Amino acid sequence: MSANLQIEIAGVKFKNPVTVASGTFGYAEEFQHLIDLDALGGIVTKSITIKERPGHPPPRTHETAAGMLNAIGLANVGIERFIDEKLPFLKKLDTVIIVNVAGSSLKEYVDVCHLLEKAGGFDMIEINVSCPNVDRGGMEFGTDPESMIKVIRAVKDVTTRPIIAKLSPNVTSIIAMAQAAKDGGADAVSLINTLVGMAVNTDTWQPGLTNVTGGLSGPAIKPVAVAMVHKVFRSVDIPIIGIGGISTWQDAIEFHLVGALGLQVGTANFIQPDASMNIIAGVKKYLRARKLQSINDLLGRIKV
Amino acid sequence: MIKTKPQMCRVLKNQRLDKQGYYYKLTLELSQKTRKVFPGQFVHVKTNQGLDPFFRRAFSIADCGPDNSLDIIYKIVGRGTKILGQLTKNDAVDIIGPLGNRFTVPSKKQTVVLAAGGVGLPPLLYFAKFLLDKKHPADKILFFYGGRTKDDIIEKAAIKKYAVPFYPCTDDGSFGYHGLITGAIEDKLRKLKTSSTKIYGCGPEPMLAALQDLALKNGFTGELSLEAPMPCGVGVCLGCIKPRLDDPKKYVRVCYEGPVFPIGEVRI
Repeated sequence: MSANLQIEIAGVKFKNPVTVASGTFGYAEEFQHLIDLDALGGIVTKSITIKERPGHPPPRTHETAAGMLNAIGLANVGIERFIDEKLPFLKKLDTVIIVNVAGSSLKEYVDVCHLLEKAGGFDMIEINVSCPNVDRGGMEFGTDPESMIKVIRAVKDVTTRPIIAKLSPNVTSIIAMAQAAKDGGADAVSLINTLVGMAVNTDTWQPGLTNVTGGLSGPAIKPVAVAMVHKVFRSVDIPIIGIGGISTWQDAIEFHLVGALGLQVGTANFIQPDASMNIIAGVKKYLRARKLQSINDLLGRIKV
Repeated sequence: MIKTKPQMCRVLKNQRLDKQGYYYKLTLELSQKTRKVFPGQFVHVKTNQGLDPFFRRAFSIADCGPDNSLDIIYKIVGRGTKILGQLTKNDAVDIIGPLGNRFTVPSKKQTVVLAAGGVGLPPLLYFAKFLLDKKHPADKILFFYGGRTKDDIIEKAAIKKYAVPFYPCTDDGSFGYHGLITGAIEDKLRKLKTSSTKIYGCGPEPMLAALQDLALKNGFTGELSLEAPMPCGVGVCLGCIKPRLDDPKKYVRVCYEGPVFPIGEVRI
């Protein structure tokens, strides 16, 4: 019996649950000499905004215990250059392409999604309502349920493609935000984005990041992410894509057991660019060894 | 396409280079499938098996032999390099590489000014050897090398073996020229023509900033190899950025567009 790693989210078929998280994989072309891109379940692009953004001044990454802080500030090529220069490469790949969209106003989210819809050549949109590193927007849509409903509704109006809402952990109730995403019409939720964090240099008394605060990611945040996926799975009926410190196949199994159907490998791509490949192989082996037929046999099966 | 995915390399040697035990040369055995290595490129090294330190560490390549052995030279400055210092023969080290771009090869008629500051030595040592292999006249390769004291001037024997004009410089005057490397280079540049000279530099940022100013002021061209903490090393994390000189609100990635940049491109 061979294990089947295929999953389906909102009608989109993934050859396996392992995708790579926004901001950790560029526009995929950077990784073509490192791994077989077609072996991935899917690729989430860097966040795309209406205009090109250089991002914050350096330093904008900082090493921490079992993780890192970043305050990149949504540096990206902008929607026009994305469509002209990056999308043609992504289109050719035999994997699910998810474009991550960010904005500082409702109109910006809508405009970017509208231009993407006209261009075509991708499978899903992930709405970044959870970036902790920009002054305006981003997170305000991700921390207030009413704003979340509005932004998801508005983008659903201009695209036929499934919408994933990427949730922030920097909220009082992740369940309320997942419910709001669902109420707005989101087809899936992905969680978690980074946790707000900060570091201080004891020599210079300056913050580790020019932006002062940043987003914490990596293995350090995995238990927080597992708990949040667990909570959302038990309370809201919507497909979940688990994110947060996933670096090994054991991490992947943990996320499936608390209810994540899909997965995103993020910061691990920086340290071990082939982490996603090892995870796919490991999950496959695990299913086979336990005589499980598919990811569904693991989904939310935690014994509590 | 030849992939540059992570590979476990066997340690062939990990040799101390100075009396104090700050500088080491690590020789690794590369897999046969590694793509061709050029001076200026770097390798991204996982210094430990676990999560501390979390990031890989980037090191310029100091040499790469036909036998697929690769050298890096490092100074023990923090946790990562301290762990590297403890490696012994037959240990395994996880590296990604070669990564990044390379120094461009000058015409044989050009005089090459190599400016190495401190642990900026490795890529220029490799480049000097590479140019000699390509039959660049030895007397046209001027090797400037600056350090704080004579103890910071390492690999003297290797440089002497190349038989290129050697200009060591120390801040305290304990070896060679007494003063900053840029002072020694400035004296030399007065005797050289801008069109037939190319400057290549690698070293601490204040030195590279001074070298870039000196070159731009006097109309010389060349290339600088920059350093920055690199979370990913492959162009995606956008952490190792530097502002452009012509538009400081725009950035270059040291790991991806570099680490070698034309003089005048990056604000240092």
